[in-house]
Amino acid sequence: MKISGSYNLPVAPERAYQILQDPAILAQAMPGCESLEQIGPDEYRMKMKVLLAALSGQFEGKVRIADQAPPTSFRLIVEGSGRIGFLKGDGLLKLSPPDAGAAGLTVVSYEGDAQVGGTMAAVGQRLIDGTAKMMIRKFFDKLASLAG
Amino acid sequence: MIAQKFEYTAPKSLDEALHLLASGAKPLAGGMSLIPMMKLRLAAPEHLVDLRTIKDLNYIREAGGQLHIGATASHYEIESSALLRQKCPLLTETAAAIGDVQVRNMGTIGGSVAHADPAADYPAALQALEAKFVLNGAKSERTVSAADFFVDAFTTTLEPGEILREVIVPIDDARTGTSYQKMVQPASGFAIVGVAVRVRQNARKVSFARIGVTGLSNHAYRATAAEKALEGKTPSANDIQNAAALVAQGVDANSDLHASADYRKHLAAVHAARAIKSAISRIT
Amino acid sequence: MATTTTKTETFVGKRIRRREDPRLITGTATYVEDIQMPGMHYAVILRSPHAAARIRSIDTKKAVSAPGVVCVFTGKDTKGVGAVPCGVAMPDLRVPQHTILATERVYFVGHPVAVVVARDRYLARDAADLIEVDYEVLPAVADPEKALAKGAPAVHPQWPDNVAFTYHQDGGNIDKAFAEADVVVKQRIVSQRLVPMAMETRGVVAEWRGADRQLNLYTSTQIPHLVRTIVAAMLGLEENRMRVIAPEVGGGFGSKLNVYAEEALMGYVSMKIQKPVKWIESRRENFTCTIHGRGHVDYYEVAAKRDGTILGIKLKLIQDVGAYHQLLTPLIPQLSVLMMPGLYNTQNIRGDIIGVFTNCVPTDAYRGAGRPEATHGIERMVDILAAELKMDPAEIRLKNFVTKDKFPYPTATGLMYDSGDYATPLKKALDLVGYVKLRQEQADLRKQGKYMGIGISTYGEICAIGPSPATPAGGWESATVKIEPSGKVTILTGACPHGQGEETTFAQIAADELGVGLDDILVIRGDTAVVQYGIGTFGSRATAVGGTALYYALQDLKAKIKKFGEMLLESDDVSLMIGQVIDNKSGKAKTFQEIAGAAYRALKLPPNTEPGLLATRFWEPPNFTFPFGAHIVVTDIDDETGQIKIRRYVAVDDCGNILNPLIVDGQVHGGVAQGLGQALWEQAVYDDNGQLVTGELTDYAVPRAQMMPWIESHHTCTPSPINPLGVKGVGEAGTIGCSPAVVNSVVDALSPLGVRHLDMPLTPEKIWKVVAKKN
Ligand SMILES: Cc1cc2nc3c(=O)[nH]c(=O)nc-3n(C[C@H](O)[C@H](O)[C@H](O)COP(=O)(O)OP(=O)(O)OC[C@H]3O[C@@H](n4cnc5c(N)ncnc54)[C@H](O)[C@@H]3O)c2cc1C
Repeated sequence: MKISGSYNLPVAPERAYQILQDPAILAQAMPGCESLEQIGPDEYRMKMKVLLAALSGQFEGKVRIADQAPPTSFRLIVEGSGRIGFLKGDGLLKLSPPDAGAAGLTVVSYEGDAQVGGTMAAVGQRLIDGTAKMMIRKFFDKLASLAG
Repeated sequence: MIAQKFEYTAPKSLDEALHLLASGAKPLAGGMSLIPMMKLRLAAPEHLVDLRTIKDLNYIREAGGQLHIGATASHYEIESSALLRQKCPLLTETAAAIGDVQVRNMGTIGGSVAHADPAADYPAALQALEAKFVLNGAKSERTVSAADFFVDAFTTTLEPGEILREVIVPIDDARTGTSYQKMVQPASGFAIVGVAVRVRQNARKVSFARIGVTGLSNHAYRATAAEKALEGKTPSANDIQNAAALVAQGVDANSDLHASADYRKHLAAVHAARAIKSAISRIT
Repeated sequence: MATTTTKTETFVGKRIRRREDPRLITGTATYVEDIQMPGMHYAVILRSPHAAARIRSIDTKKAVSAPGVVCVFTGKDTKGVGAVPCGVAMPDLRVPQHTILATERVYFVGHPVAVVVARDRYLARDAADLIEVDYEVLPAVADPEKALAKGAPAVHPQWPDNVAFTYHQDGGNIDKAFAEADVVVKQRIVSQRLVPMAMETRGVVAEWRGADRQLNLYTSTQIPHLVRTIVAAMLGLEENRMRVIAPEVGGGFGSKLNVYAEEALMGYVSMKIQKPVKWIESRRENFTCTIHGRGHVDYYEVAAKRDGTILGIKLKLIQDVGAYHQLLTPLIPQLSVLMMPGLYNTQNIRGDIIGVFTNCVPTDAYRGAGRPEATHGIERMVDILAAELKMDPAEIRLKNFVTKDKFPYPTATGLMYDSGDYATPLKKALDLVGYVKLRQEQADLRKQGKYMGIGISTYGEICAIGPSPATPAGGWESATVKIEPSGKVTILTGACPHGQGEETTFAQIAADELGVGLDDILVIRGDTAVVQYGIGTFGSRATAVGGTALYYALQDLKAKIKKFGEMLLESDDVSLMIGQVIDNKSGKAKTFQEIAGAAYRALKLPPNTEPGLLATRFWEPPNFTFPFGAHIVVTDIDDETGQIKIRRYVAVDDCGNILNPLIVDGQVHGGVAQGLGQALWEQAVYDDNGQLVTGELTDYAVPRAQMMPWIESHHTCTPSPINPLGVKGVGEAGTIGCSPAVVNSVVDALSPLGVRHLDMPLTPEKIWKVVAKKN
């Protein structure tokens, strides 16, 4: 599944870049994140609880950051699995000031691939796309609120 | 397809149910969405409180110039209600379009609204009807409009421990026509898109239009740009096309195996046009 | 000795309601799930969530100590159990070792990895979640054409090219035919993977009786005897120590014409725990571990003369095998090659099959098994040829049919068509649908920019499977008829009807032969301890082969009855009539009851005659039968949404003599429903990582009652000379005739847009994209 989109963060690119890699902030912004601990340079172990209407699932996995080019881009690799299935995501995040050049704003655009497996993949076709979008939206909304 | 262990309570009163819900139990209504998820272990509630055993949650009645529908009214009860057929045909038409007979016998309006599936049928109609939902907690009661209730995919303003107790819809006068047009996803029965239209005419001019759209994006919404495009006009076929084209404008459309985002947007416009035409033709 | 059989009331040919239905529609039938036994344990199978992975380790500690759990077995434990067999022998067939539980690797999502046994199924299911499997995920390939490409991941590392087998068949002179052709049309045609979706999923109860050294296996199968032979061998058990019972079977469609890992696994578990054990397949499992059907990519080329005469047909067939061969996997596409010429008189063919391993559930027989794919191919190609030559699709068919004076007709693929009259059902269908008028209406609608299509398919099929040399396990069928001492009649059939209605049709045959009422007859099937060895129900064979065995057994029995009648009536001129034997001279009679009583009391016996009234026959068919027919579908297309509306569905099927028109209609209706499923809705979709994304009924669209058009079902009748009943078989006809008629109709509707071919399923979005392009 391809995932792409963009979001405006109300901070300058340097700050945006910084918070997007700050485990403490990420842990708060990621929906359902229960813990995020560093296990290596640019590598974190994550526990997540996804709660979506009646659906609930616990995931454990890893987050890795690669190809860092501050403050313009980096790659995010996420892997998680739980009883209801597993997911893998690999995406490129690009940060740029908006075209109009407004100060203190960053456009984060992302583009990547996500793989979903297990029960989730088999029964959730109708829901996966919308859910993924919602999680990303929630993440950025929260990030924006924490950014200031 | 075997659920995890859970407790089950069949309360007699709303208070009893709300009390249990306050301590973390989950409401069970028709079970048509919840139980399949439990069997697949996508959901594992520890305690279910059955709302259908509470007699005073099951009613359809007229009071104070409005229609009041209890949370556990089944899709079939709504579809076959003489009162609703006469005073809110949009709701009976929508109920009849849901899934299949078995699902309509079991599923409830409260469950459907609370679950907020982005492809559920009722939410389109309830947006067009500007419905109000009465939400009760152990110590609270509040009324929320459909416009504010649906927040995101499967996400509503319901707080933990709260239930949707009642749906309130207005009674329209005779110059109002309504229609629900749906493209069915053949496997699940849900809407690929569904458009509910409610229009009032005054001397052939549209004085009022409400359009609810489901299936297209993360939650059902009102297509206000399309509504405005109709209001004040004696709409020609062209006007209808133009208004319909606005329902999907700017929407981040869903995409899945059954319909791509572009196709969904196209279908939304087609079904909007059909629903508008049909609604106008039904004005007596 | 002049003896004649006269009857007053007859049953064959009448619309008699199915005698099996009352128990089915009142919920009183006994399926595997309904079987309860004291001390019963329950098994839940843990399956791979990955399409390809190496198993680093399996930790069952937590599961073993979970409440109620008796034991957990993994592939290490079951190494002594024989592999799930492929029943097909072919040169160069690559057969991967198919263990009943995965050992080092998993090859598809759904691959069984471990089995948890507990005292109830809830505890077993809970414990399954506690098993920790450490997988090293490997690259997977789910698409057969991608699997053939260089550098594709190897499904089985020992065969990096992923080729499971190849098969080649040449008939006539194909190169000459193509060299002499005025036109050659080519098309790639996909027959997508389908999930058979029997209403009852699979299920097994195994009951090991240690003291008796006896294993009773209740399983939802179409072939109980073959299951017994094979599973006994897998378990190292003497075959006569095993009893297989197929209780009520809630549909199979070929998916239960197989021997599955779980059947041997439950036998193994019961023998280990010395207790009965039950496993019921969930619908989720049914999607990912019961065989799928179809899965073809076909490359067709048809050579023809300008006047439409077909000269030759080439087919390169890529069969998606899946990760393993199940019982008949490699045979199914061979049936497609055999059927390549369809109803057309061409003696030049070339068929090449490449069977390809993928990280998916194995494919095998699904309603029609190879013949729907072949029919879809040739019927699409004939339409494409007609369009190329600007000929009418009915006319081009009539021009190329094998004519009725040519039977028996040898095909270029080595078959001998038994009897046929192909033009008659087509002409009848054209009349019924009002073809000429419809074409005029179509012309008018086209002027208004509206899309209406008329699609024809004229199909043939191979039924009554089949002569033993053409089958892996014997193609005969058996029947025993007993007249009990009280005069009541019991039939034991080696076929294993599971919804086809033979409890009724076999009783009709016997009632007419013996002159008794239907209620005097009981038909028993599906129990290896009761019924003599048999082959089973599949390939539209139960009546044409099993019914014929029954017919001959009845003849034997009638002869014996007469002997007793002659003895009792002291006459040499007797007739069998309505439950009695009559002396043609004196008019005196002995009832069946009296005759049966005498035969079992045995105070006196006719010369050279043993006591008792029982006859058993094993009948070997000398050939297949070849039913045929014409289906015409009229569609209207909503050009705004791409939705297809079926306006008319006319089916004219010729299945030889009809024993019970009601049952034949039912078979046609069900067959058409599944044909429509493939044409319009169903598809097993795997993503690039081998995840089955249409893995539940929320995304896999099986046809429902409210999605069905009105089916106008008609018949012509060309009896088969192969068997004395003159029957051919009708179980698969509807499915085979349907899908090409639907696709031809939609392609016909869209032909003004230059559309020549569309692959199934014809989803509205697919149609919309075509229509939107022109707008
Ligand atoms: C085969 C099938 C086809 C279907 N087709 C359609 C279709 O075409 N269109 C459509 O719209 N729907 C369809 N549905 C869904 C169906 O309408 C469900 O009945 C409905 O979405 C949920 O209602 P329920 O009463 O079954 O709720 P349940 O499944 O019991 O509950 C759903 C969720 O809502 C919560 N809940 C229930 N009642 C309340 C309440 N009063 N207050 C607060 N929370 C509550 C539950 O805790 C749970 O989380 C289909 C379902 C099936 C199984």
